[in-house]
Amino acid sequence: MFETIKELMLYKNLIISLTQSQVRKRYKGSVLGVLWSLINPLFLLVVYGFVFSFLMRGRIENYFLFLFNGLLPWIFFKTSVVMSSNSIVGNAGLIKKTYFPREILPIATVFENLVNFFMGLLILIPALLIFGDGINLMIFWLPVVILVQVVLNLGLALFFSAVTVYLRDMRHILEVLTMAMFYYTPILYTMDMIPERYQPFFKLNPMAPLIDAYRQVLFKKDIPDLGSLLWTFIFSLLILVSGMKVFKHLNRGFAEKV
Amino acid sequence: MEIIRVEDLSKKFILSSSPGTLKEWLISRGKGSANKEFWALKNINLSINKGQSLGLIGRNGSGKSTLLKIICKILYPTTGSVQVNGKVSSLLELGAGFIPDYTGRDNVYLNGSILGLSREEIDKRFDSIVEFSEIGEFIDQPVRNYSSGMYMRLAYSVAVSSNPEVLLIDEILAVGDSKFKEKGLNRILELKEKGTTIVFVSHSDAMIKKVCDRVVWLDKGLIVGEGTPNDVLPQYAQ
Ligand SMILES: Nc1ncnc2c1ncn2[C@@H]1O[C@H](COP(=O)(O)OP(=O)(O)O)[C@@H](O)[C@H]1O
Ligand SMILES: [Mg+2]
Repeated sequence: MFETIKELMLYKNLIISLTQSQVRKRYKGSVLGVLWSLINPLFLLVVYGFVFSFLMRGRIENYFLFLFNGLLPWIFFKTSVVMSSNSIVGNAGLIKKTYFPREILPIATVFENLVNFFMGLLILIPALLIFGDGINLMIFWLPVVILVQVVLNLGLALFFSAVTVYLRDMRHILEVLTMAMFYYTPILYTMDMIPERYQPFFKLNPMAPLIDAYRQVLFKKDIPDLGSLLWTFIFSLLILVSGMKVFKHLNRGFAEKV
Repeated sequence: MEIIRVEDLSKKFILSSSPGTLKEWLISRGKGSANKEFWALKNINLSINKGQSLGLIGRNGSGKSTLLKIICKILYPTTGSVQVNGKVSSLLELGAGFIPDYTGRDNVYLNGSILGLSREEIDKRFDSIVEFSEIGEFIDQPVRNYSSGMYMRLAYSVAVSSNPEVLLIDEILAVGDSKFKEKGLNRILELKEKGTTIVFVSHSDAMIKKVCDRVVWLDKGLIVGEGTPNDVLPQYAQ
């Protein structure tokens, strides 16, 4: 595994240039393109925001900001996993004809979505300043939270990109699974709205403490729950190590199967 | 010094009709699948020393391309092993690693980084790559507008620019006009002078004689002849 990491370092230029070209393709190199890519999260925000701000009336203040704060990292998670499941099979030409560490393809997809997440933060933070309670120094925890999520996303992206080569319907399965997981993750609601006896089940979800941490450091301007963040980090590292192992194993057949 | 070592290598392809899905897998559980097997390489042993140029000859389907792809880790052996102690650059197919929508310039950068070059290294070589390829101002056009000759020239120029320790070439010089062929061949000979190890697939006896110190003859996945070009080529011709 350390050999893989060493090789990836040698190829860091390829990771950067693939990420750049994917980002450029997504934004079509224009301001309008950037706005266009933000339409999806803003649309979700408006739809869910209107419906659920009635249902949640009085229980959560400033519901739109609360929701937007949870929606952005969720979209980062979902698009990283779903898009990268296509990253190997979608690059059959490169895989059949050239050598480079194949891990780079799902990694670049996660980074592309990380850039997209940053674009979202560029809207969220001014929105917090204008419509919310502003921000404070707790925002310095943000990079830590992002790092934990990137580790988790990378692990899952590596795993599903490799598995999709052998099970082509994985992408559709992931679409359905992530849709269910959206409701299972406290994005529209908070964890303490869940009845006590169901909470252990909801706490199995690694995205739950992450969404909570993002809200602590931005929306609530407070320190994140460091204990659960640490556990999520350890869990995410385990996912990443297993994802890399599975990828390395399945990698042997890629050029014949894509 | 040995730079490539191939030991007891065999490669089996499984000829399956369609890629698998979870649905199929759940439905067909327990039933044996009717996939055909095909051994493209059987028990290959090779040792190539640093600076040597090896020619691979054999009829279509004899496993030459498969062997090159295993050496550069695109494919993996079914049994046996391959060890390469150096940086490999390969030219296996026309426009391998080119993205048609990208301009020639972007593709040079993409391909350079696939070869493991840093941005600065590509910057430094960029002008000489473009000059060698004779692409001219087309460099800022999407490569989908290129003729196959232009495609090949650009791909070739990037691959030979990276100063690889090992260069794998698969019949690529078959395309292009004779002037570029000669230039391409001279570049290979230059790299050879500098100590690059070359594995070269070609159907041209003349090219093999110019480039290679040693020839390996493959037939139906087996090595059936090995020696200097002057020994093996006449046997192969029969
Ligand atoms: N991905 C693949 N799946 C199944 N069979 C393959 C695959 N690649 C090559 N083959 C088969 O392996 C044999 C050797 O092919 P190849 O190495 O391309 O031969 P050559 O380059 O000497 O013409 C051929 O019969 C070819 O059909
Ligand atoms: Mg061939």
